[in-house]
This record gives sequence, C-alpha cells and structure tokens, in this order.
Amino acid sequence: MSRKTGRRLFWVVCLALCLAGFLLSVLTGPVKTTPGDLLRFIQSHDRVQAAIFIDLRLSRAVLAFLVGAALALSGAILQGYFRNPMADPFVVGVSSGASLGAVIAVSLGFEAAAFGFSGPGLLAFISGLGIVSLVYVLSLRRGGFKIETILLTGIAAGALASALTSFFLFMRSDSYDQAVFWLLGSFQLAEWRQAATIAPWFVLCFVAAIWLARDMDLLALGDETAQALGCPVRRVRKAFLAMSALLAALSVAVSGIIGFVGLVVPHWVRILIGPGHRALFASSALAGGTFLLYCDLLARNLLPAELPIGVITAAVGAPFFLYLLHKKR
Amino acid sequence: MSGATKNKERGHVPLLTLVVTALSVLVPAYLLAGEKERGHVPGPGGSPAVRAAFPRQEQFEIAKIQDLKDDLGRPFPLPERTPERIVSMAPNVTEILFALGLGDRVAGVTRFCDYPPEARSIRKIGGLVDPNIEIIQSLDPGLVIAFRGNPLRVVDRIRKLGLPVFVLDIGQGLEALFPLIAKIGRVTRSEERADALAAGLRQRLEAVGTAMSAAKTRPKVFVLLYGQGMWTCGGESYVDDLIGRAGGTNVASSMPKKWVLYKREQILKDDPDVIFILARSGEDFATGRDWLLRKAHVESVAAVRSGRIYELDENAASRFGPRLVDVLDRMARLLHPELFGDAP
Repeated sequence: MSRKTGRRLFWVVCLALCLAGFLLSVLTGPVKTTPGDLLRFIQSHDRVQAAIFIDLRLSRAVLAFLVGAALALSGAILQGYFRNPMADPFVVGVSSGASLGAVIAVSLGFEAAAFGFSGPGLLAFISGLGIVSLVYVLSLRRGGFKIETILLTGIAAGALASALTSFFLFMRSDSYDQAVFWLLGSFQLAEWRQAATIAPWFVLCFVAAIWLARDMDLLALGDETAQALGCPVRRVRKAFLAMSALLAALSVAVSGIIGFVGLVVPHWVRILIGPGHRALFASSALAGGTFLLYCDLLARNLLPAELPIGVITAAVGAPFFLYLLHKKR
Repeated sequence: MSGATKNKERGHVPLLTLVVTALSVLVPAYLLAGEKERGHVPGPGGSPAVRAAFPRQEQFEIAKIQDLKDDLGRPFPLPERTPERIVSMAPNVTEILFALGLGDRVAGVTRFCDYPPEARSIRKIGGLVDPNIEIIQSLDPGLVIAFRGNPLRVVDRIRKLGLPVFVLDIGQGLEALFPLIAKIGRVTRSEERADALAAGLRQRLEAVGTAMSAAKTRPKVFVLLYGQGMWTCGGESYVDDLIGRAGGTNVASSMPKKWVLYKREQILKDDPDVIFILARSGEDFATGRDWLLRKAHVESVAAVRSGRIYELDENAASRFGPRLVDVLDRMARLLHPELFGDAP
C-alpha cells in the first residue's frame, strides 16, 4: 500500500469514526434514548429532549472533540519543536502550572466565572501560560537557546508546581472532591459557552500550524540547516511554542488535565501516515478529537457513576500505543 | 547562535509572552461580552440557546417575582403552587420534603436519600458531589433544591439549563433548622405545613430545654464516629449544639472545627462521663463499644468504667433535618435519666 492511499484510508476511517462518535455521543447517556427518539425530536420539538440532546450531549461531544484536537495538535507541535518523541503539551509545565492554579482557586473558594471560564478554569489558564513563559525566559538567560535547557527547566518548574499543588490539597482536604475534577479531567459540566470560548483559538492555532508546517519540517534537520535553507528559525520557534502552550492551557482551563492524548495521538498518526508535518498536524487534530470523543463516551457509560476521563485516556491509549509501536518494528 | 541575536531575542521574550497572555484573556472576554451571567433569573424552559430554537414552548406560570432569595442570595421566582416534580439534591432536603407531606411530588433524590424508606424507590440522580445533570433534566422538574454539599459548579450548570434551582445553606446550630424548613416550605408553597412542622419541633425542643433547666450536673460527653479512628465532633458541628442542649458538655468543644481526629491521650485527659457512638447499625455499635472497652486502652475513662456508652443513630444525626430533634431527645434522656423518670 502506497503512502498516499494509506493516508487517504486514514482520513476516511478517521472521519467515519468521528461522525459515528458524535452520533453515539448524542444517542447514549444515563437517560435511555433511541435513534427513534432523536428522529422524533428532529421532527417535533420537545423542550426536555432539546436540553438533553443539544444542551447536554452535543455540547459535551463538541467540547471533547475540540479539547482532544487541541491537545493532540499541541503535542504534535511540541514533539517537532523539541525533536523529541517524549514531548507532550505538559512537558513545558503547562499541566502542573494549570493544576496549581485550579487547586489554589478551589481551595480559596474562588468560584466566580469570568471570560467564559469558571474561576478555577481562568486561574488554571493564567498559571499554565505563566509557567511556560517563565520557563522560556529562564531557559533563555542561560547562554542562548538550547532545547535541553528549556526541556529540563520545564520539568523542574513542573515538579515545583506539583509540590505546591499537593501542599494546597493537603492543607484543604475538604476541597479534594472538587480538585479531582482538575487533576483527572472531566467533561461532565461541558456547555456551549466553553466550546465557543476555545473554538476560535483552536482554529487560529490550527491554521497557523498548517501555514508554518513546512518550516517545522526544516527544523527537523537542525536549527543551523533550517536557517541556511531560509527558515526564520527564532520566529518560527517562538510562534510554535506560543501556539502549543495556548492550546494546552485552553484545554486544561475547560476540562482539567487530560493526559496521554497529546503524547500518544501524534505518535499513532506518525506511525500510520509518516512524518510530514502538514499532514501530521491536520491528522493529529482529527485523530485526537475523535480519540477523546470515544474516551468521553466510555467515561460516561462504562459505570453508573462517571469516571474521570484522564483514567480512560491512559487505560485505552497506552495498550493501543504499545501495540502499534511493536507491530511496526 | 551569535551574541547579537541572543540579546535581540531576549528583548522580545517578555513582550511576546505578555502580548500572548493579554490577548488570550481579553479576546474571549470580548467575544463573550454579550453574555450576562450575573443576576440571571432562573426559570423553566431551557437555556437561552434552546429557548431561541424552540419559541413555541409553553410559558410556565410564574407569580410576580417576590422577595424570595436562596441562600446564595440569588432571587428566585416563587411558583404559584407546589411544583409537580421536585428534585432533591441532598438527604436532609428529601427528609424535610417528606415531612411536609410532599413525598409524592419528589421525582428525583440522591443515592444517599434512604429516609423515609419510601425515598429509596424514587429515581436516583447520582450522589451529592456527582449528581447526573442529564437525569435531572430528564425528570423535567419544576423545582430543584440543592444543598451546600453540592458543588457550586454543578448547581450552576443545572441553572444554565434553565431549571429553577434553589440553593440552601447549613447554619451553625440546631436553630438553623427552622429557617431551613421555612424556606423549603415557602419555595414549595407549603407554608402552612412548614409552620406546623416547625411548631411541633419547637415544642419538643422547648420541652427538652425546660427539663434541662432542672439539671444539676453537666456530664462530659465524647461522641465517637464509628469506623475510622477516633473521629469526633468539634465546636463548629451542630452535634456540639445538640450535646449542649441535651445538658452535656462536648469535650472537643474547644476545637474550632466540624470534625476532629482525637488522640488517645486527649480522651484520657478529658475523662468523659458518657460516650455516644454514632453507628449505622446495632452491630456497628457493638463492635465500636467492644473496641472502646477492650482495645482502645482507655480503661481509666469514667464512661468506660461505668459502662455509659450509648448508641446514636448515625443516619438521623448526620442529616440536618427534623430527626435531629429525636436525637436530641434521646441524648437528653440518656444524659439525665433522673429528669425524665426513666432508666437509660
């Protein structure tokens, strides 16, 4: 099978799975509904069913897809940025920074909503971006830009933020229930407003990433070579870092920390369609969204009580990833 | 990388991060400027999006907005008559609704709502911190009563569906029970029954108070939560208030907390005259008492020596509802049998 037909097949399968996922998301839930109910609802409006199908289930599916796409795209960008397959949206400290912000907000009882985020969501977003900026500035001070420096600074800053998070949780053990939402992620409270908040940013970053994908291909050859081939290395790097941090921080702000999507989905895609970044970015976004859509389906329907989605992403993602990795070798 | 470009890059970094951060906060704010979250009066009929999509829906009869606010200070449109379907998001709310004779109107309860027994057969909406919003919506309730244990984020999500959510807070002592009952009575338009219920409880409360005025002693009381170590109730718990009204003194009263993990040395030093064990069943009580008598190494404590260790119904005592008065009554009789003329 040639790479081109393989790629086409990937897109067809992914799109079909994605549409099926949306349909399943709208049709399943704790309240029993049949396809017949959905058809009847489309023909004649019913207030309660409108709320269930559109306000609760569809908004949730759309948000899960957007967050999955944003996380996977962010991961794909960072793996290219660091030329390191271990990189994911959270390696530069976004996740630990954001969870620290959320847990501080929860333990201080800061619940007021603003700018389309809840209080903890907003603080998570700000502290997530803040810690990336800090990591970036710190790693520049130390004698020029080195990939290893920013990677290690990110890991250290992340560890510090995690320690502070644990400290706040320990001090306010009664807020633990709410903190779990941020530490393991959930779409339980998804609403259209959240989807509307992150959608424009996702689209912006997506378009920009596709636009700059050729430069990312050049960066894979090394910064000097890329520079020699006419790529404005510094500007491109800055843009990519800002995009990936923004995507990850937005995702955390609406849904809490959802691990594994950003790490694993770009790998799957690379194994299946090859390393060209333009196709990789687009396919990662589609595959990541679809993956998270199905994970959320499991989180909602596996047990009578809802599971945190972070549990599902790792439990489903890891074995599948191992299979793909070793089948290829 | 050369020194010149390095410096240049350094100069740009804070600016870049500042711009990115500022933009990403401000632009969503601008996009959402039209949304007015605050002061939104909840009313039945779907979120704004759904309302716009389905303008034909029936209008609910809502009396003019009277001066009713829930415990979050949000104005609440008072229904004209008792809502047909009420969802209760906490066990004590369920209990009060049943005590007001509204059991047949309760359409959804939490999985913890097991009193009165009839409540067990009602549709479960999930737990206190994880109620299922979809199930609540599917019940199409005319009233949702939330309590403080429900996370505010969940309550807000339900409000945004357009469901009328009335949020109640817990007060400090037993006295807070009366406004709680009055508010539930008002919001369900069962004011008279609420008054009657409150009057009955008040009478029993005062009977205990009158009896206690003759008490000559104030036994020291230790309350043990059966199960996980020596947990007891601190000064901020309403159980502390119950002990005081029952003519006793809570040994952990000075602890500025609701629940406290007690140390063995502390209980030896406090030397309580009476120990109450909050137990779910007679078996749990027996196990707890055996533990105190044999394994806890507290033999020198007066209550252990005299055997004044009594069971309290954990189910009744842990819910801020009418049965607290039963618990109070039992406590008073056990602490001061001489005033009631019966044996403990």
